[in-house]
Amino acid sequence: MKLLRISSDLGDNYVMTYDQKGNEDIIKFEDNEFKIEYIGPGWREGELLFKINGEVHRVYVDQGYIIIDDETIFKVDRITETPIEQGKSIEELIKGKEGEILSPMQGRIVQIRVKEGDAVNKGQPLLSIEAMKSETIISAPVAGVVQKILVKPGQGVKKGDLLLIIK
Amino acid sequence: MPPFGKVLVANRGEIAVRVMKAVKEMGMKAVAVYSEADKYALHVKYADEAYYIGPAPALQSYLNIQAIIDAAEKAHADAIHPGYGFLSENADFAEAVVKAGITWIGPPVDAMRAIKSKLDGKRIAKQAGVPISPGSDGPIESLDEALKLAEKIGYPIMVKAAFGGGGTGITRVDNPDQLVEVWERNKRLAYQAFGKADLYIEKAAVNPRHIEFQLIGDKYGNYVVAWERECTIQRRNQKLIEEAPSPALKMEERESMFEPIIKFGQLIHYYTLGTFETVFSDTTRDFYFLELNKRLQVEHPITELIFRLDLVKLQINIVADQPLPFTQEELNKRVRGHAIEYRINAEDPLNDFTGSSGFITYYKEPTGPGVRVDSGVTLGSYVPPFYDSLVSKLIVYGPDRPTAIQAGIRALNDYKIGGVRTTIELYKWISQEEDFQKGKFSTAYISEKREQFVKYLKAKEQMKAALAATLYQRGYYKKATAITQQTSQNTQRKSNWKTYGLLQQSSYRVMW
Repeated sequence: MKLLRISSDLGDNYVMTYDQKGNEDIIKFEDNEFKIEYIGPGWREGELLFKINGEVHRVYVDQGYIIIDDETIFKVDRITETPIEQGKSIEELIKGKEGEILSPMQGRIVQIRVKEGDAVNKGQPLLSIEAMKSETIISAPVAGVVQKILVKPGQGVKKGDLLLIIK
Repeated sequence: MPPFGKVLVANRGEIAVRVMKAVKEMGMKAVAVYSEADKYALHVKYADEAYYIGPAPALQSYLNIQAIIDAAEKAHADAIHPGYGFLSENADFAEAVVKAGITWIGPPVDAMRAIKSKLDGKRIAKQAGVPISPGSDGPIESLDEALKLAEKIGYPIMVKAAFGGGGTGITRVDNPDQLVEVWERNKRLAYQAFGKADLYIEKAAVNPRHIEFQLIGDKYGNYVVAWERECTIQRRNQKLIEEAPSPALKMEERESMFEPIIKFGQLIHYYTLGTFETVFSDTTRDFYFLELNKRLQVEHPITELIFRLDLVKLQINIVADQPLPFTQEELNKRVRGHAIEYRINAEDPLNDFTGSSGFITYYKEPTGPGVRVDSGVTLGSYVPPFYDSLVSKLIVYGPDRPTAIQAGIRALNDYKIGGVRTTIELYKWISQEEDFQKGKFSTAYISEKREQFVKYLKAKEQMKAALAATLYQRGYYKKATAITQQTSQNTQRKSNWKTYGLLQQSSYRVMW
């Protein structure tokens, strides 16, 4: 079993465990599991057929883009393998760094509502980001203490930027 | 003979392109204006001439009245079309246009002033005999006053910006604590967005539908109502999917609104296009007036499709002194079929609809029977974070609602946009959802269904990542791509031009 982290071109991060059993790959996320089986080449040149959780899908790979069923597009920016730490459950491994608050979007920090050292509850507003005519409030995903604030009001941020750490 | 020589479009994105199409079809020249962020935007390329009007923030460019008038004078434009949003409902702008000796393609300045705020609109609606919902008669001075009135009319209430539009500054409030929380924030937002911080409150209808009527009037006092648009599928009080006609209305209910709406138009001597927004209760079958929008609406294409009209050409002809070419009776006879519009926003529905800006790395529009796309982007376009997230509109048409929905599903499957997140996947889910298909929904639809569609979208996203992992581990990915294993820390950013070039190359290579 391996632990994989996939970053897409849109700045999304997916952490999963990966296992290979014969012709079948088993991939687990925190809340979903996929059994993927390679069937063989498709009708068209470069086309591959996969059975994903029992359903057949046609897949193309070109220039880093994966095109599934001529319909959805996915681009991988990076794939990294992380060594499996002994004694940890799958759930713990997939969860990653729980207290790291990443920016869900590109925008500008409008307001920071907490200070370093503040104790926060789950769901408590931490800061807000403005983009595309709307203000998005980022709330604490877990309860804890604000260890570090890495941004200032007025600062521009990109999707995936680390904003704040809660311990 | 075309009515004008040159028309300047004081807007950006899909609506600027849409207006220019009508302008060109009428044999006139189209002039664009653009900000720093839109140098390479589609509307700039599509225009016959384009003028720079300032830095990226809207206040310094698309909301800068003087810069736009200067551009119009430089271009020797005969008329200005404002599109929607930005300065489209700004009477000061309309007045400045008229003063500069340029034709304003919009309602008369006096009529705009008469309903400058939503509150003025409510007062005239009352006079015209249109039902209105209980709330404040004027802007509310203080939070204390708001709390007292809210207590009197009863929660839930809506806090609204008097000069607002496009859903900004509207918040539903369920109790006094929430009212305290949102008051100052909404004031700030209203000031930032509309230059005026005035707020008012209104009783919130529970689970209402949002239905709007299209008023068309000429300079000679002739009016028609081009039926209604159902705009109930919303998030944060902003429309996502609209359809015409409404699946909820009976003919007599629809027609009961025509007379008061026309009366409203007569009272303020209104002409060109106006949209009469209402909330409609499925249970009591009552309409309540919200506001009259003094502009061409985002969702105008669905009315165009069912009536086989061009509303932009009609607007231009009306300001060029043409009378309406039809009566209400003739217009009613033109109605055919059903149309649906999907607003394609650069947003992430999985992440509470946060904006998603960046380069469009893939772009392929759907075509075929019953499909229209009004787009402001193309392959390689940049979606800036400074403006609205609407990138294009997919409009589908069919002889009846089920056929239109099927056309919608097909066209959404054919629509491919890469590089930014969009609402396309969400719309595919909605179009196949049972309550939507039955026409049973309220403005709470998106929040009520959130859990279901988030689960579906998340699983779909994870499936793509799982497939990528398999392709990588089985060696197909390495073979087919130049992907390198690297950590996020040493990722180097490419210049925008380099990115643009690479996108063009790789996109053309991909087989669909």
